[in-house]
Amino acid sequence: MTGILEVQGVSIAFGGLKAVQDFRLSLREGGLQGLIGPNGAGKTTVFNLLTGVYRPDSGTVSLGGHNLIGLKPHQIARAGMARTFQNIRLFADLTVLDNIRIASHARTWTSTLASVLRTPGAIAAESAITEHAMELLDVLGLADRAQETARNLPYGDQRRLEIARALALDPEVLLLDEPAAGMNPQEKIALRGLIRTVRERFSLSVLLIEHDMGLVMDLCEQITVLDHGTVIADGSPESVQGNPRVIEAYLGAPSAEVSA
Amino acid sequence: MTKLLQTLMDGVSVGSLYALIALGYTMVYGILKFINFAHSDIFMLGAWVSFTLATLMGWTSDAPWIAGPAVICGSMLICGTIGFVIERLAYRPLRAAPRINVLITAIGVSLFLENVGQLEYVFGTRPQRMPSLLPDTVLASVAGVSIRLVDVLVIGIAFSLMGALEYLVFSTKLGRAMRAVSHDLKTASLMGIDVDRVISITFIIGSSLAAAAGFLTAAKYPSINQPAHSNWILFGLKAFVAAVVGGIGNVRGAMAGGLMIGLVEMFGAAFFSPNLRDVYVFTLLIVVLLIKPDGLLGRATVEKV
Amino acid sequence: MARESGLKARAAALAPEPMTVLKQSVLPLVAAFVIPLIFHFGIGPSVGAYPSKVLLDIGINVVLAVSLNLVNGFTGQFSIGHAGFMAVGGYTAGLVTYYGGYRIWGDSLPHGGFLGAGEMLFLVATIAAALSAAAFGYLVGLPSLRLRGDYLALVTLGFGEIVRVMIQQTSDIATDATEIAATSWPSLLWKVGGALGFTGLPFYTSLFWVWLWVSLTVLVASRLKTSTHGRAFLSIREDEIAAEAMGIPTTTIKVRAFVMSAAFAGVAGSLFAHEVGTTLNPGELGFQKSFEVVIMVVLGGMGSVSGCVLAAIVVTVLPELLRSVDEYRMVAYALTLILMMILRPQGLFGLREIWEIWPFKALFRSEAK
Repeated sequence: MTGILEVQGVSIAFGGLKAVQDFRLSLREGGLQGLIGPNGAGKTTVFNLLTGVYRPDSGTVSLGGHNLIGLKPHQIARAGMARTFQNIRLFADLTVLDNIRIASHARTWTSTLASVLRTPGAIAAESAITEHAMELLDVLGLADRAQETARNLPYGDQRRLEIARALALDPEVLLLDEPAAGMNPQEKIALRGLIRTVRERFSLSVLLIEHDMGLVMDLCEQITVLDHGTVIADGSPESVQGNPRVIEAYLGAPSAEVSA
Repeated sequence: MTKLLQTLMDGVSVGSLYALIALGYTMVYGILKFINFAHSDIFMLGAWVSFTLATLMGWTSDAPWIAGPAVICGSMLICGTIGFVIERLAYRPLRAAPRINVLITAIGVSLFLENVGQLEYVFGTRPQRMPSLLPDTVLASVAGVSIRLVDVLVIGIAFSLMGALEYLVFSTKLGRAMRAVSHDLKTASLMGIDVDRVISITFIIGSSLAAAAGFLTAAKYPSINQPAHSNWILFGLKAFVAAVVGGIGNVRGAMAGGLMIGLVEMFGAAFFSPNLRDVYVFTLLIVVLLIKPDGLLGRATVEKV
Repeated sequence: MARESGLKARAAALAPEPMTVLKQSVLPLVAAFVIPLIFHFGIGPSVGAYPSKVLLDIGINVVLAVSLNLVNGFTGQFSIGHAGFMAVGGYTAGLVTYYGGYRIWGDSLPHGGFLGAGEMLFLVATIAAALSAAAFGYLVGLPSLRLRGDYLALVTLGFGEIVRVMIQQTSDIATDATEIAATSWPSLLWKVGGALGFTGLPFYTSLFWVWLWVSLTVLVASRLKTSTHGRAFLSIREDEIAAEAMGIPTTTIKVRAFVMSAAFAGVAGSLFAHEVGTTLNPGELGFQKSFEVVIMVVLGGMGSVSGCVLAAIVVTVLPELLRSVDEYRMVAYALTLILMMILRPQGLFGLREIWEIWPFKALFRSEAK
């Protein structure tokens, strides 16, 4: 069975340093999969490889059967893969609403000329974009903050805004890079429900990088473990937890984190 | 053949001036990652301060032998101080600001220096003639090319200053600190390097090198333009182009780039059209940036996501 | 390959009311034509010749500032070669009205009155100016695909200088009607006066034309800013990597910003070329002119259309008022620029428009109610 996102033998080296080697992954349609590993294991590099920020030295990446290698990041985004960033990258000086509406740009069809002439079609398109954005803000619980400047949002809200923005692309696959980082326990519980909700509601497949093991083990049905750029384990949360190589990789990090 | 040798001589002579100025650009860029637009104005000040010092001392004709060395040292000292003050007042408050803001500030500083220089009681708006502090003698004639003392001194002084800088950067403790700060400012400060001090020293060195170039330029081309004349900025810009072509942040690259720009300009002027010399330089810049954006001796940088 | 987003279906259900279309789309366009008429027939004649001339200068600077704002403000790129585009536009337009005038009427004097044949030729010339400057904007925009920040600034500056030096190399203007009639267009292209400037152009630039182009430039910029295309510009300024990840084709849009910006700079060049009391010469259009426009954009706020308009007005009027202390003018500009960057780096208005700022915000709110 092939998944919606298929990754085979992807490697990249930066100036002799092999950052990711022979990475493989198969994300089932509608699946919720975790990508974990100690700090510096190459998780974010994998995201950058999947989204076209880096071009892999070798290997294949395909989304819904279409090859993604060699496409630019914006083409991959348009093809249906959206992401969030570990070190939040919002459009900080713009409003919350505009942050989301920007992601809808990829789905609009009006020309620059039509926008400048304010044709009835362009006006309708703008209304549609705004309505769609407000709906997303509603789902993420940010509707009453629509007119605020993104940089003024509290940290947890910024993380959720990143998710909302990614959803505005109408993706098939959502890559979440440590969405719970910096959140307090209540926010983390809410986030857990949120990820489940948006997956259902927008029929997404989700790939999740997260350090909070409780969150990962609870949410994900499949987990890939990365260490030093290579996949050391792959399987259900239970099988990964019991895997001696995984436990070894996490030595040095508190082992309680693994079993939590 | 004569023309070839003569052009080579001119190219190396002008190129070494570019190289001297390029060093200041490249050192500042290496550490603070912005184009110090005001650097070409320090170069301008170098020439004007030299002129003013010579006039004040009454060295207008038959200057004693001490005049040249005294004026160049005085000019380097004064411009080094100005460079230090500029960094302190205008650039330091923006250490954490986006690079574009620092660039705009640098343009502001540049406009400020030019227009203050134009004020009647500073340098005024009239071009002046630099008194000749060096005897204008032809040292020798090789294959029909006359080797002028000025050119020999320009090249000689420029190369000795570059040699001194090379020694400073690669063989002293201070140089090691400078390279560390240039490599990674944050880590360097964690390692106990006084980053502010290193940056101040960088500005002082860069500015005094530009002042030396200003003096030498005035010695080579004695008619000095008014402070806000676009030729100053243009000369400085070509020096920056030299720094970029050589690989910005790279001291040896700046020297190589300076010579290269000087040669391209002079050969283009001699063998194609003398009116288009600026066009050659900027075309070279655009070509280099498009083919190898990090310059000939530069290293590629990857942005972290 | 992407799934249907549903935006289109949503838009179909949201077709705007006729009144909305009238208010949002038609009325501003009408105003864009009425305002210049008011300037031309109302304000101009009542204030006299000198203030009218200042109003022309203000208008041209507004067009320059608002158009540079598309690149430096909206898109966050840094161009300091705006005068180069202005020069390209000015010389293109000059060629059309000067040699075109000779070909048509046998001289280069203004023909026809308000909106007469001569002014139509001027309109054609200005559009040609926009197109040729846009073509250069495309060429200069291309390196922006590979270069960031200050390197790009350097390329734009280099471009402006190349244009200036090339124009200096051109040969004398042809002044003999029979000679011009006998010369082919390609060889006329080079006869634009060299360093002395392209003199003898007909004075078509009137309050009507200047303020018509001001209105159109402001209209385009402000509508762009509040549309999905403008937001795409802004996203690049905010975070290029995030914009790319959100499906914004950043390279295409950067080039588009350059092209649009250059086109309006070309228009400003044409207006400048045909204005009474100005000479179209390469010395006027060097990087000092580019810096002046950068100052306007920085003062007004990078990204604020109304802020740029205000800054352009101030930067034009202030020197007129301070003529007696002219030598301090540039010193004051320079200090303002430095202090601005240290104290208020986003410019007076930042990204916001004047009516989004507190005292005015209240004003406009209450009006809306």
